Amino acid sequence: MTLFRRARRNKQLVVGVILAVVIAVLGIVGPWIFGAYDKQDLLSGHKSVGTPGNFFGTDALGRDLAARATYGIRISLIVAISVTALAVVLGMGIGLVAGYVKGRVDGVISLVIDFVWGFPLILVAVLAAASIGSGLLPVILAVGLVNTVAIARVVRGEVLGLTEKDFVVAAHAGGYSTSHILLRHIIPNVIPVALVLSSYYVAVAIIAEASLSFVGLGAQPPTPSLGQMVSDGRNFLRLNHWESTIPGVLIFVMVLSVSLIGDGLRDLLDPRLRTAVERASAK
Amino acid sequence: MKAVFRRTLTMLLLLLVSSFAVFAAIRLSGGDVTAARLPASASAADRALFRQQVGLDKPIINQYFTYLRKLATGDLGNSLTNNAKLSTLATEKIRNSLILGGSSMVVIFALGIPLGMLAAMRRNSWLDTGITSISVAGMAIPNFWLALISIYVFSTLLGWLPSAGQGGIRYLILPTLVLSAEGIALTVRMTRSAMLENLGQDFVRTLRAAGVSERRIHFKHVLRSSLMPLISLAGLRIGQIAGYALVVETIFGWAGVGQALVNAVLRRDYPVVQLFSLLLVVLVTFGNLMATVGYTVANPRLRK
Amino acid sequence: MTRALLGVEKLSVGVHVSGLSYDIVRDVSFDLYQNEILAVVGESGCGKSLTALSMLSLQSSPPLRVTSGVVMFGGKDLLTLPRAELRMVRGKEISMIFQDPMSALDPMFTVGTLLTTAVRAHQNVNKARAEEISLAALADAGIEDPRRRFGEYAFQLSGGISQRVMIALALVNNPKVIIADEPTTALDVTVQAQILERLLVLKKERGMSIILITHNLGVVASVADRVAVMYSGEIVETGSVAEVFRGAQHPYSHGLLRAVPRLGSAAQSLTAIPGRVPQPTEISAGCVFAPRCERVKPMCHEMRPALEIRRSSAVRCHNPID
Repeated sequence: MTLFRRARRNKQLVVGVILAVVIAVLGIVGPWIFGAYDKQDLLSGHKSVGTPGNFFGTDALGRDLAARATYGIRISLIVAISVTALAVVLGMGIGLVAGYVKGRVDGVISLVIDFVWGFPLILVAVLAAASIGSGLLPVILAVGLVNTVAIARVVRGEVLGLTEKDFVVAAHAGGYSTSHILLRHIIPNVIPVALVLSSYYVAVAIIAEASLSFVGLGAQPPTPSLGQMVSDGRNFLRLNHWESTIPGVLIFVMVLSVSLIGDGLRDLLDPRLRTAVERASAK
Repeated sequence: MKAVFRRTLTMLLLLLVSSFAVFAAIRLSGGDVTAARLPASASAADRALFRQQVGLDKPIINQYFTYLRKLATGDLGNSLTNNAKLSTLATEKIRNSLILGGSSMVVIFALGIPLGMLAAMRRNSWLDTGITSISVAGMAIPNFWLALISIYVFSTLLGWLPSAGQGGIRYLILPTLVLSAEGIALTVRMTRSAMLENLGQDFVRTLRAAGVSERRIHFKHVLRSSLMPLISLAGLRIGQIAGYALVVETIFGWAGVGQALVNAVLRRDYPVVQLFSLLLVVLVTFGNLMATVGYTVANPRLRK
Repeated sequence: MTRALLGVEKLSVGVHVSGLSYDIVRDVSFDLYQNEILAVVGESGCGKSLTALSMLSLQSSPPLRVTSGVVMFGGKDLLTLPRAELRMVRGKEISMIFQDPMSALDPMFTVGTLLTTAVRAHQNVNKARAEEISLAALADAGIEDPRRRFGEYAFQLSGGISQRVMIALALVNNPKVIIADEPTTALDVTVQAQILERLLVLKKERGMSIILITHNLGVVASVADRVAVMYSGEIVETGSVAEVFRGAQHPYSHGLLRAVPRLGSAAQSLTAIPGRVPQPTEISAGCVFAPRCERVKPMCHEMRPALEIRRSSAVRCHNPID
């Protein structure tokens, strides 16, 4: 069965991709459709969901929630995806070097990796905010750092394992150049793992960015961030809970879709996942 | 065991380095007491003089060691907000955070392990599907949103529990549950998958062939092998809880280290930021160390 | 004619899940008598291990399932016993030892703990007595320093020692039957001989009956009393080792014996059996060995031969060698 067909049969992956597409569409197209996110209308105050002209209603300052929410999606996605993409490239590079070259170089790299890796992302982001100031920058730095290290760690482990494998030793013995071995043998085997891992970290990044803006660090007003919106709506839960609920739901859906895609990818790409039948009948 | 010793040493070294990094970053970005002590109208020359007198113009490394020395003698400085002595402030906040964090850890494993075992033992049943689905969802819900929902439901709507503050078990319930949520979900999933993997191992077949009861096989043998990855998980969870506590304590008004740190960052109360950042870095490093050491100690193969 | 201790009748085991349905073991029948070693021999993948596992319902149950047949022991069909009763048989009446001892022992516990667990699963004794029994079993299995091994973990043992630990585990409750699934395949040749010798001793001194699963004809020749030859999930011939080795009746057994190179004879080309073993999904009507048989007749492709009892042996063939 080709990869594509197996992908279609994997329910997690399908659901995840559908959700992701919905979110992406909202994020890309939404701000155009719904207009400016900082247009205030102090007189009308809260409007509920379904009011003509304001699809999701408005917040306390009369700003259109749909506009703000979809812009917030953009921010979350841009931060999470771009930073993770960068982290994948950097992390893979570092991991490859550490795992392939080994020796002292690996020792030093591993030391740093082991140390940073265990730090919770939120803490790193708060520390970054403490050092640099609020805004998106500390979030980006923190997310980038933690993701890079996490991916480097896994890639290093994989590469270490791969270099022991017979087919790599054979390639060495056959006189193939280092770049050939890396490109043709090692990297293709490492990419699936890195992909699955990065999907997990995209999810973590989304939550971290939201949590940070919730407490007031992270994206500063008037730039809307989903976490910030949830915080703004805290005091009005009885009046118009949609103000908090909508951004909250959107965050949840984003994280869920990314997690499902990650799980689905993992099931798909794991070659050891033969069917139980094959395994049992192999006796 | 020698490896464990070496690892501890390297961790301590790295701890020193990273705490210095945090210290330097904060100090160098202007995070010293100058702005707070001097009126805004002070000239640049005044500020320079002040810095010199207080010792803030020395190389950053020296400043760092001075700071450490002060810490060792118990002089933790004062908060910029209300000039309170940090030593008293810190003890109080630490105690509160330990109560919340400790309860969380207990709940995570007291609930997570049995649920994970149950799901594995009743694999593919409705119970298993239910438990697994809730776990997947549980890991996706941002904890601050969960906090808000639970406050809304249990406090505003139902009025069963208080929404913020401290003072007894009733105040502890919601924050603990919210803080534990992701940990429980992860523990359930890991326990379940570890148990399922171990159930398929050859040694289980040998035990069955010897006539050992299914119950004993599950609870004594399979569980023992499945617990090993959980020890690492526990160590790492300490660090994760420290991170989440920042948000959860803030929402629930729980006067712990997390809430204090967040407020201090927002208000630029540098001594507090410095001290509490250091505390959390130490705690997380400790947790990570426990994770690696614990794994070695638990596995008889690695012990010998 | 003495009655069999253990009788397998028309046992079929296969895969039957959504979309897939085929038998791997088909209509297997053989008897095990008191105080004998019965070897079940065949190529890798012929289903002999699966047969052994299924006798005690130890096969990987989804997706493998027994589709028909009975396994009679002590007047009862083991396959339909309620779980609690089956647990009483496993380890106590019938024990099993497995192929790879290193992975078959729980790595988190010491040898001693595993043994005492097995003892206390069946005997109501205190810890001290269980230890005594376990140490005695270790000695019976041929281990020289039982006390020392008692406190060690599986990964600290060599292949030969861990296999003996498995044997001890199987002996601890004094079973009547031991099913040994390729006990020597994973071991060095010298160790193999020791383990086999230990099995012989157990048979002689304790009067045990042993079913020995193997693909090695040399092993069969050295310890077995009777042999059952399996091909592609079916028993094709049974008989005493002497009879079958002197003059095999089934073309497959004959070919198998002929294919063994003999030391000392002048170098000739090796005689192999042409063709390959069919996949379980490829089985068609008629004799399963027909496509490769040199004695094939038209009838062989149409009708599956039944297991015919001739004299003290049995053969499943339309055109057996006399």
